[in-house]
Amino acid sequence: MKKLLLVSLCLLVLCITQVFAQNRTVTGTVTAKDDGLPIPGVTVKIKGTNLGAPTDVNGKYSIVVATGQTLVFSFVSYLTQEIPVGSGNVINVVLSSNNKQLSEVVVTALGQSREKNTIGYAQTTVKSGEINQASQISMFGSLEGKIPGVTISNTGGSAGGSTKVIIRGYSSISGSNQPLYVVDGVPFDNSRPGSGSTVGALDNYDFGNGGNDIDPNNIESISILKGSAATALYGSRGSNGVIIVTTNHGKAGKLVVDFTTSTKITDAGSLYTPQSTFGQGWDASHIISENGNWGPKYDGQIRVWGPLVNNTQLLKPYSFIKNDVQDAFDKGFEETNNIALSGGNENSTFYLNYGNVYDNGILPGTGDAYKRNTVGLKGSTKFGNFSADASMNYISKVANVTATGQGDNTQGSFYENILQIPMDIPIKDLRDYKNLYFNVDNYFTPWAENPYYSLFENGSHYNSNRLYGNVNLSYKATSWLTFQIQQGADITAVGDKIWSNYNNPTPGSWNAGANVEGGVRNPDVGKVIEESHSVFEYDSKVNALITKKFSNSFDINGLIGVNYNDRGFRNLSTEIKNLAIPGFYQIANSLNDPQSTEGESHRRLFGAYASATLGYNSYLFLTLTGRNDWSSTLPPGANSYFYPAASLAYNLTDALSVKSDVLSYVKLRGSIGRTGSDTAPYEIYNTLTATNINLTYGNLLFPLTGGIAGYTVSNSLNNNKLKPEIQDEYEVGGEFRFFNDMLGLDFTYYNRVKSNQILPVPISPSSGYTSELLNFGKVRNRGIELGVTIDPVKTKDFRWDINYSFTRNRNVVLSLPAGLTQVVLNSAYGAEFVAQVGKPLGEFVAPVPVYDPAGHIVVGSTGFPVSSTQNGDYGSSQHDYQMGLTNTFSYKGFSLEFDLDFRKGGKFYSGTADLLNFVGADPATLYNDRRPWVVPNSVQAVTNATTGAVTYVENTTQITEANVDDYYYHTSNEAQNYQRTILDATFLKLRQATLTYSLPKSLAAKLGAQKLAVSVYGTNLYTWLPKSNHDADPETSNQGIDLASDFGEFRTSPPLRYYGASLKVTF
Amino acid sequence: MKKLNIIHKTLFVFVISYFGLGCNKITNINVSPNNPPLTSATPQILLPSAVASTASRVGGELAILGGIWSQYWAQSNTSNQYKNMDSYNLIRTDLNGNYTELFAGALEDYSLVNTQAKAAGQWQYYLMSTVMEAYTYEVLVDLYDQVPYSQALQNNANIQPKFDDGYTIYKALIAQIDAALAQNYNLAVTGGDIIFGGSTTEMADWVQFANTLELKMYLRMINAHPTDAQTGVQKLFTSPNFLSKDAGIASTYFTNAASKDNPLYDYNTRTLNTATNLRASYTFTSFLTGSNDPRTTVYFGTATPVFMHQGDYTATQIQAPSYNTATLPVEKPTDPVIFLSAAESYFLQAEALQRYYAGAGAQTAYESGITASFVAEGLTSAQATTYYSQALTNVSWASSTDKLQAILTQKWVSLAFGCHELEAFFSQECTGYPLTSAVYSRKSDFTVNPAYVPGQWVYSPNGVTGGLFPKRLVFPDVERQRNNNTPAEVPLTTKVWWGK
Repeated sequence: MKKLLLVSLCLLVLCITQVFAQNRTVTGTVTAKDDGLPIPGVTVKIKGTNLGAPTDVNGKYSIVVATGQTLVFSFVSYLTQEIPVGSGNVINVVLSSNNKQLSEVVVTALGQSREKNTIGYAQTTVKSGEINQASQISMFGSLEGKIPGVTISNTGGSAGGSTKVIIRGYSSISGSNQPLYVVDGVPFDNSRPGSGSTVGALDNYDFGNGGNDIDPNNIESISILKGSAATALYGSRGSNGVIIVTTNHGKAGKLVVDFTTSTKITDAGSLYTPQSTFGQGWDASHIISENGNWGPKYDGQIRVWGPLVNNTQLLKPYSFIKNDVQDAFDKGFEETNNIALSGGNENSTFYLNYGNVYDNGILPGTGDAYKRNTVGLKGSTKFGNFSADASMNYISKVANVTATGQGDNTQGSFYENILQIPMDIPIKDLRDYKNLYFNVDNYFTPWAENPYYSLFENGSHYNSNRLYGNVNLSYKATSWLTFQIQQGADITAVGDKIWSNYNNPTPGSWNAGANVEGGVRNPDVGKVIEESHSVFEYDSKVNALITKKFSNSFDINGLIGVNYNDRGFRNLSTEIKNLAIPGFYQIANSLNDPQSTEGESHRRLFGAYASATLGYNSYLFLTLTGRNDWSSTLPPGANSYFYPAASLAYNLTDALSVKSDVLSYVKLRGSIGRTGSDTAPYEIYNTLTATNINLTYGNLLFPLTGGIAGYTVSNSLNNNKLKPEIQDEYEVGGEFRFFNDMLGLDFTYYNRVKSNQILPVPISPSSGYTSELLNFGKVRNRGIELGVTIDPVKTKDFRWDINYSFTRNRNVVLSLPAGLTQVVLNSAYGAEFVAQVGKPLGEFVAPVPVYDPAGHIVVGSTGFPVSSTQNGDYGSSQHDYQMGLTNTFSYKGFSLEFDLDFRKGGKFYSGTADLLNFVGADPATLYNDRRPWVVPNSVQAVTNATTGAVTYVENTTQITEANVDDYYYHTSNEAQNYQRTILDATFLKLRQATLTYSLPKSLAAKLGAQKLAVSVYGTNLYTWLPKSNHDADPETSNQGIDLASDFGEFRTSPPLRYYGASLKVTF
Repeated sequence: MKKLNIIHKTLFVFVISYFGLGCNKITNINVSPNNPPLTSATPQILLPSAVASTASRVGGELAILGGIWSQYWAQSNTSNQYKNMDSYNLIRTDLNGNYTELFAGALEDYSLVNTQAKAAGQWQYYLMSTVMEAYTYEVLVDLYDQVPYSQALQNNANIQPKFDDGYTIYKALIAQIDAALAQNYNLAVTGGDIIFGGSTTEMADWVQFANTLELKMYLRMINAHPTDAQTGVQKLFTSPNFLSKDAGIASTYFTNAASKDNPLYDYNTRTLNTATNLRASYTFTSFLTGSNDPRTTVYFGTATPVFMHQGDYTATQIQAPSYNTATLPVEKPTDPVIFLSAAESYFLQAEALQRYYAGAGAQTAYESGITASFVAEGLTSAQATTYYSQALTNVSWASSTDKLQAILTQKWVSLAFGCHELEAFFSQECTGYPLTSAVYSRKSDFTVNPAYVPGQWVYSPNGVTGGLFPKRLVFPDVERQRNNNTPAEVPLTTKVWWGK
């Protein structure tokens, strides 16, 4: 067929040649401006005719034209050029890419490509180059601070740990604030295993969130839709913003092979700074079995430490050990590789890729490791008006993670144990945890365990297999109407295992009570948890796309369609405690019966939608959108809801023809939109639950011994009148470019209110339930987003690009259900993270001292402050603002980039700080050189025995030297503890610095490559924290990746720092 | 144009069929596969769960509070867990779990059992549930003075129930028990009874439990409503029918495994990272060893426990080196949880007889109480006889001039077993026995204070209440935050309505 066509074309050309003698053959090469490489597949057309030819694999073309005719060179994502044919026979053309140009095409809702010019809301596109700058294994690894309105944080400190992405602040008090991830048009699961797990303990194991599964090397671009008008087409799931990932696809032309490899060294990014004055002990005495730094001052004298074993005892100087904590870790190693093959002809293309990641983490041994293999195949074909494409991807992920947080009676946590080593004890020596002096019996303290025991004997293993992909069929019925059918699926199967070993100090040993304090450490009874978890999602869409130009002034671009979505998960978890044979981790290996729980969730959603963009004279665009959803999770008969949106884009420069050398471009935009969301499944009807009684510490689980079954009325009161949550949002903004595009500004102001929130409202237990699901609660987020791009220097060889982003979000809770003063979102040790009316969503409240009317701290008879019956306010987790700054310098083939990320203000709770204060390692505990003092500005209350009147007299009761330690702990000084554990969340990070050298084409060619680039880089290179925070990185959290994680961290791992080099070659 | 029409029609049909398919498919998948519907509840499935809830809290965290406040156990000075209890430094956010579980876990279930049993004429379950509901409410009233009752447990019909005063609640509970006793409860029990299930006299046991509980409640009213107390007690004594066995969850329902064991053991010994928080208190050991009590070995595993002075947890190692090895209370994973022991029943009878019947029969009841305590703890009645035959005040009936003091002191000694230590605290608050000491039990040089009388309760040296003993808990935060009807805060040191 093709051959026939060519022959007839030749014949035609021949005919014409005979008729018009002046016709001749013009040849040339089309190359790209940015890299100088030839571009295959460029359409070369004679203007006003149907005649044309494509460029070949070397970018060469040949066409018969007549003088005076005009050749039109066009190619996707390049600016179209028109060149009149003069007298020459060779016309070489350099096409420049259309980035930042008026005709920039961006991906919008449901994967529709639109010229950016026409959209009336804020949208950010990130290209492959930026995403893969430092060869991060997560697609968000290089984007922190770069996207206005989007907060990206690395919460995990383990290899492959989670990334938290929040768009325009938190809106939902108890629901999800996670954006919807869409990969090639299909929703992509982003759950972080643990959060939805039946085993609560999993929260302390961060195996990474689903969104991190995608190999960033395969991403062509990410489009971030922020506001409701932008996301309304996604219906129920778009209200928190949508992240649309477009993966690479094959391109017509010869086979192209892309190969990328990178190697990194990792270490702990920022660690706490302990005090270096006082050493091991408690109550101001040197006690060799203590886990605290409350002993006397360091004197450098050689002292014995640890127990007397076989009549010998260890010796060491009583002095502070520098880098003691840093040395507890190893240097890690990370390796990533990716190879992609692509090619095709005008009708069919393919893209095949394989990528792998290996990371062994910064902990000694294999307790933290991450392995990922990804394979994907994508193909497309066209036949007449019919086209089809499909992709299928497989991801295998294997991770080992060490528990963070608080240990329990089955194990201790590595991080919690590290904190409890006095700073005169060499931590790294303890690695030899089976050594006579460091083993279970003789570890120096009964109050904690050897961290390396926790690391080497306890652990977790996670294995997930994920398949996702889609099939798209489309049929172009007429020039203006196209039908599309898309079917997508995303299926993950996870198996994980968590274990800890049995140990018990031998009777008579140091830790069984023979230590100087008589402390007895409880046995770790050991456990095994075996879990399986499967997640599925099927998504189908049928769309009709309409593009029509009515007159020279009006055009319309629209779609109408339906969507059916079916998703859910299933968990099965089995646990045993009390290992019968230590060191053998199998469900059968227990003194007790295994306990199993299962859970499943299944929901369906049907949606019908339509959207139309009406254009007027290519400068004014109005988009109207509407969608109606029917959800399975809402009460029958009341499960349908509609949301509309409208947006307007006005291209001022074109409309008023005011383009000049100063003013290059102005677009104003405004939009208003509504989105909604349904509830989780099974929240309509009341239920019983299997009885598992919380004892505060421990639990009592049915069936009781003797075959006694028990079910109890659930504590959550469901609601058969639930309505969907509604979010209303408007935004206004504009894009401005000046001085021939040298300076660009993109500004947005938004205001969104989420109301009718479905809240499990805590209710008085005396009602018989502890929470009731209600539609109530209103949260407003409003803020500004600003993106600035500047190219102050732009010469042929040298170029300086500046990218700046600024985000300021103000979040406020507008209402809560009547009678409810607050909703507790998270808490630890008396510090609560709450929603209160008039305050930002996520306010810290905790005990405070009692003050007398004159403002003095009231202390009790012991000289310690008395805590108030009312909690006090410690501020919110919300940053005042965040800014990102990227500088890129390019000189010929060299390019140097560094990224700064600054977040100002806000608070976080640190469980690390709590423990560091308890053990006297925090520098704050050096107050008054730990000599006796009277609480500054304090009084004691005196009650008149007859009148009952209270007066206050100056307090003279000292905090004695032996009680200084009690001053720094929440059980003994509740009133003042929280000022040391709720810390300033400000930070400035040098996120990334990259130096890249791209070989000149000629040199690359000598090596047989089209392109070759080498980079060296570092990520998370430096962190500046305020002086008041000695304890923890505010970004880290082991509390999930949603609102609750803004609470802070509870003894989690430090963030990771990477140094590495990469090589990228294209053949 | 024709072609286009076809396409339009196809699309139309497609969309409609899709739509229809969708609508059918999205309904009826919203019934939870994870939890059974409320309608599947029965007394047999709810009652054990509710009783275990009461036991888990009264016999768990509240037993620890009771054990510290009744001065059986002191907080160790080398750990931290219960410092706030031993210094009376409990604020509204503390100990909320007990309140929550007793209401939403236990009482909600009892309430549903009552409704179901009443509707089905299952009066045997109605009696069981009513007695346990009254027991649970009584603990809450005794801790908080006022709690919601008349408007409580109405679910979403009233999520902010008003508080009722304790006296009203007591009277209502007694009336409810009487009403349950008036029904034909002698019906076959078909499972679900983990208190007297398997007993040949099962329903008769329940009647005795009901009567003894009423006796306890009437005796609580001696200060606030002496007439009610006397009338009530005398009504019960017209045909005395009180417990002579323990009412509680027997050892057989527990196993030595996490989450399957005695709640006090699971909490204090198994789950915390150190099991050495609670130590023998001198207040208790001084009385035990001073009276050659063989129960010392049962309570502490040794006849000569090493003690700490109550509340002395800030003592350093240098000041009080012996504290390092202070004896731990004996706790076992299969200890029972007792709601009302036979010994307590006898001591209540002895107290009633002493107060209202001029002591007739009081000595017998007193000595039966001591014997019951010995037997329950694995000792013999002969050992009990030897013990109470010693000519010691508050040990032998004859040597005790203040008979009430003797009865209540011996009741205190007996309540250190069976996870109902809280009862000893209530008993002391109501009667003033054991007496409180004017002096601390040690001198500033950490030697025993010779002026201290063994067994008298001492004020914690770390107490934050200015020398006043704790008398109650402040209203819990879970209520304060969620219920506008919560009364204004009352200090921890204010006595409850029945307090002395």
